[in-house]
Amino acid sequence: MSDSFNFGALFSGRDVIGSTLHEIGLKNDKLYVVTSDIGGALKDFKRDLPTHYIDTGIAEQSAAGVAAGLALEGNIPVIMGMIPFLTMRACEQVRTDICYQNLPVRIIGTGGGLTSGGGSTHNAMEDIAIMQSMVNMTVISIGDPNMIRDILYLGMDYPGPMFIRLAQGKADHLLYEPGSQKFEIGKGLIARDGKDCTIFAHGEMVFQAILAAQELEKEGISVRVVDMYSIKPLDGELVEKCVAETGNVIVLEDHLMYGGLASSIADYLMDHRIEPRSFKRMGIPQVYAGFGSGEELRNKYHYGLQDTIDAVKACVK
Amino acid sequence: MADQKEIIRLQDLAYEMRQKLLNLCGSYQGAVHIGGDLSMTDLLIGLYHHALNVDPKNIKMPERDRFILSKGHGAVCMYIAMAMRGFFDYDEIVRTYGKLDSAYGMHPCKVQLPGVECSSGSLGHGLPMAVGMAISARTKGEKHRVFCMMGDGESAEGSVWEAATVAHSQNLGNLVVIVDRNRQFMTSFSEDLVKLEPYCDKWRAFGFRVVEINGHDMGEIIDAFDSLPAPDSDQPTAIIANTVKGKGVSFMEHNLGWHAGKLGPNDLAQAMAELKAAYEKERGC
Repeated sequence: MSDSFNFGALFSGRDVIGSTLHEIGLKNDKLYVVTSDIGGALKDFKRDLPTHYIDTGIAEQSAAGVAAGLALEGNIPVIMGMIPFLTMRACEQVRTDICYQNLPVRIIGTGGGLTSGGGSTHNAMEDIAIMQSMVNMTVISIGDPNMIRDILYLGMDYPGPMFIRLAQGKADHLLYEPGSQKFEIGKGLIARDGKDCTIFAHGEMVFQAILAAQELEKEGISVRVVDMYSIKPLDGELVEKCVAETGNVIVLEDHLMYGGLASSIADYLMDHRIEPRSFKRMGIPQVYAGFGSGEELRNKYHYGLQDTIDAVKACVK
Repeated sequence: MADQKEIIRLQDLAYEMRQKLLNLCGSYQGAVHIGGDLSMTDLLIGLYHHALNVDPKNIKMPERDRFILSKGHGAVCMYIAMAMRGFFDYDEIVRTYGKLDSAYGMHPCKVQLPGVECSSGSLGHGLPMAVGMAISARTKGEKHRVFCMMGDGESAEGSVWEAATVAHSQNLGNLVVIVDRNRQFMTSFSEDLVKLEPYCDKWRAFGFRVVEINGHDMGEIIDAFDSLPAPDSDQPTAIIANTVKGKGVSFMEHNLGWHAGKLGPNDLAQAMAELKAAYEKERGC
């Protein structure tokens, strides 16, 4: 990789995970990787730390249970896998073995939203709703592939379980110059400032929101984009500040429109009796989305780039 | 062969434990899973009073053996076995069991009750966690064992066999599964609607060393524990203990109605009398 930074360049979050876990694992023998036949990016870890690389076979329930057992012994296990199988096949193990016992297991899932390309079996549109409903669970959604490195380091000292959502993880857009941002659990990040409207987004959708903001700027509309990578705990203060400063709110996410970040923000606003000038959710409707690329599906279900631009124009009128 | 004096000591403890279980089943206002408690009583005595290297005064002792009760609905049986070993106070268990803010609930909670290794209650969850604990011990070179007590009914859960695959793949000679093979589920008898046989062969096929015992014969129980391969050996063990649900109380044995229940005063008196008569016969009193 060259040392110059190009916004939007494609980069593999999975490679960042592989190199970061390798780096941490060489220094800290509490780190274990548990996978269910996933982990091409982990070949260095597997080679150099074979006793700490546990492949359960295609068996997410036992991966979650084994990780809980490792954590009960004071270790910090990282489970890698595809989101629907970690969050739904192993849902009860995550809830009962990991969250109930409040264990520091890190669950890293790839294929967030409609990015997997695998159709509805592999799409991940319910995961945030499921994971954020679990007591003790922290939910993080990665927008910039380099962010995962900071989050994994934070995760070595952070108490309790954590779910970390990636998009496809193979080729995601760079948003921030490496080292330019400080990521904290429970905080959001103003990725681009503006005054007419705030788009709250997470994961892959932050990039799309920034592209929309760039387009709208040409028409004199100033859009703030907030990267809400910490979905739970939610940065309520930032939500309040953005409502106060921009009035209009759009929540854009590659997840079901209800149950994810939009619902959390709506709950926060209602609980605190804050009424934005306008509030719009953009995400997956009640549908099993079928086949196509992430971008094609977002356009089909009306939360693509042009839809985002149109939504901002409609709300700032 | 097991020492006869040790067998008698443990049998006496098992007798005392059955009385304690029945007393609780008579005093608690709700249902107690008494059937499956009585089927694993002898096994838990064998574990907590003979096999397990544990210290009630130092519950976090690093080299302690780990015990996971995968059949979490038998929690009270574990609480009492541990109380008799000095971990807890039996009277407090009886006084608070199942009540608001008690640490002693129907299913064990590690967070609320230090000394319990692992929260359980959802069936099929214990073995995967035991496997994770055994992997941790193995990679750190620790010499303790991890024991996991399962009910036979929960071996219908797929997660059990997922974990068995991992145990075999990881060569976990420090892992000991004990199955309370009481041949009764909540609503049916084993092999009636759900077939588990050939049960021992299944564990063998998954790479386990299998020892089949009578789970009410204290000599066989402690022989099975005393002859475990070294923790740094490479094959996990499954002890399949053939037991009777409700063991020791005639109207509970082989009776689907006594998966869980509350004993009335007359039934309690009869159950106690039966236990006493059986014990005295055994001792030749």
